[in-house]
Amino acid sequence: MGLSMFLCVFALAGIPSWAMAIESLLPKDLPEGWGLIEGPRLYTKKSLFEHIDGQAELYFKYGYQKSVFAIYQHREKPEHQIEMDIYDMGSVLQAFGIFSRFRTGDRPGGIGLDSYFDDHSILFYKGRYFVMLYATEPYPSTMKELVLLVSSRILDPSPSPKEIRFFPTKGLKPGSIQYFSEGLLGHRFLKRGFQGTYIEDEEVKAEINVENQTKVDAKGKGGGEQKEFNLFLAIFKDTENTKKALKAYKDYLIKRGRVQAQTPPRFGANTLRGEDPYKGKVLVVQRGFYLIGIAGFEKEKPAEDSLAEMIKNVN
Amino acid sequence: MKGIATALLGITTPHVLKVSSSSGKTNKSPALEHRILGKTGLKVTTVGMGVMNCSDPAVLQRAFDLGINFYDTADCYMRGNNEEMVGKVFQGKRDKVFIQTKVHDHDEKRMRQSVERSLRRLKTDYIDVLVWHDLHRSEEVSDERLFGFMTKMKKEGKARFTGFSAHSHMASLLRAASTLPYHEVALVSYNFTYSKDLKEAIAQASKAGIGIVAMKTQAGGYKKGKMEGLSPHQAALKYVINDQNVAIAVPGVTTIEQIDECAAVMGITISRGDLNQLKGYQAFLKGRSCTLCGGCTGECPYGIPYGNYLRAVMYHAGYQNDELAKETLEAARTSQTIEQCADCPSCSITCRRGLDIKAQIKMARHIFT
Repeated sequence: MGLSMFLCVFALAGIPSWAMAIESLLPKDLPEGWGLIEGPRLYTKKSLFEHIDGQAELYFKYGYQKSVFAIYQHREKPEHQIEMDIYDMGSVLQAFGIFSRFRTGDRPGGIGLDSYFDDHSILFYKGRYFVMLYATEPYPSTMKELVLLVSSRILDPSPSPKEIRFFPTKGLKPGSIQYFSEGLLGHRFLKRGFQGTYIEDEEVKAEINVENQTKVDAKGKGGGEQKEFNLFLAIFKDTENTKKALKAYKDYLIKRGRVQAQTPPRFGANTLRGEDPYKGKVLVVQRGFYLIGIAGFEKEKPAEDSLAEMIKNVN
Repeated sequence: MKGIATALLGITTPHVLKVSSSSGKTNKSPALEHRILGKTGLKVTTVGMGVMNCSDPAVLQRAFDLGINFYDTADCYMRGNNEEMVGKVFQGKRDKVFIQTKVHDHDEKRMRQSVERSLRRLKTDYIDVLVWHDLHRSEEVSDERLFGFMTKMKKEGKARFTGFSAHSHMASLLRAASTLPYHEVALVSYNFTYSKDLKEAIAQASKAGIGIVAMKTQAGGYKKGKMEGLSPHQAALKYVINDQNVAIAVPGVTTIEQIDECAAVMGITISRGDLNQLKGYQAFLKGRSCTLCGGCTGECPYGIPYGNYLRAVMYHAGYQNDELAKETLEAARTSQTIEQCADCPSCSITCRRGLDIKAQIKMARHIFT
């Protein structure tokens, strides 16, 4: 059916093309050899617990609106089934948020705004929708066909959250950016925001050692465990609240970690440098209603450079 | 009246008047309090951690540093990312913690795959407590297929102890389980809003040797109306662990501040003054929290969906999510407005748990108009 016809019907009805009944997003023409055996079952805020028990709480934290669930079955092998959930999370930010909490690293499949594929499951988000597919047996082509059908029916044109692009790409662990609707970095006072994981660059490590006129760490080149650190972006409603959160972090470090009086001059005032008992070294800068920070790094200069780049991207 | 309030709190007076109260502040390590988890014999801290919604290893590390030794996760939480995090944090500390995870009802092949995946993610070769997730009916408690699978997991050394979890019909499930030799642990929702019936069923199961793990202990959590000594969260948690038939509570925690607050409840013994405050807090909560049990539905002659008003208040006061509260109120729009509803002289709605519904509706009006 022409997609244009589909769009046209909605346009004539005066309804935004993407604001359609969630069950209509389920594929109608199924891959050959497969049939619908259960559903569509619709869930709301009130009934989601019946479907996924206590995990519904996590969806509520991300603005869950409603969802639909269906099970497809292989006609010749009835024990081979594919379960599909489509969640309306209310906005692209929330859809990304829940997607980012469920994916495990980066195995993109080119579906939606971002996706994750493995042998048994596919996750993707597009617009305000988060879609999750689980197959009892690996059926990569069937699974992909199903999600392509769903994706083609999601007409929400929203782009991915702009904050994702604030994160510098150098050293970024693919698929590691997450959005937390609360408790960023495990702290109540940091509230909501984004976090990305970075691999400390081996070459950078070596350069730093040379700069410091110390012996280059042989383990650093290829051997040893890769050191990870995090860049983060906490978002507040205004500058005043952002400054309060920075103070709360400072108070926490005074109580449980260490605060260093000297901060790198290039970041100006409202900068916090110290040692977090669970994150290691931290450097946090307030810019408008953002706290932009780096945690768990070893070497100062590359960490400061990454932070500076992120601040530049934010500005 | 004093007797009733004390009974409601699950506190026996001689028990609580030992020492004066702790402030609940958490700069120092909490005084750990241990109980035996039923016939498993595991010595668990009375406060554990519900890891479900937590994604930051620092929170788990903090819990460990505080001495908390029991962690509840599940195969399905964040598609296994939750178990992965638990495994990573406790690598090298495995013998110092007890891990509880879950398996869903499927055919044996899928359940076995699920348990094996859990073991890989948790980076361990045994699960301390393997729980069959979310039973609903009493018959399921005596399901021989369930028992057979769990027995195999134990014989193969994959699980040390097994049990079940339930979010509804808990009293009947616990009573049924009490008559059977199958279950060593039951993970059930339990907080100050639940009925005396559940409390009695918990006692019966506990006496039968089933280790009771309480979840959903905060009833949505109330951050307002802070008490002098205990925070509202702490009071809710204290209510649960004051019930000696509960071996351990696993409040859901996502931040370091929350786990500090929860851990501080251990070892707190309550002075008479604190006890009075706790009673007052219970009264405060009793008048404000709706468990959405549905027991009051359909009693309004005008067909007002007042349940939405109650839920809106819960979202506002409990979850502090005004957006969700407003949406809920918008969905409740009828010809009779919230103003008319709050002042309706014909209101005959009652709550079997004693919730003042009229006050709730007035609160919804006050907050959102």
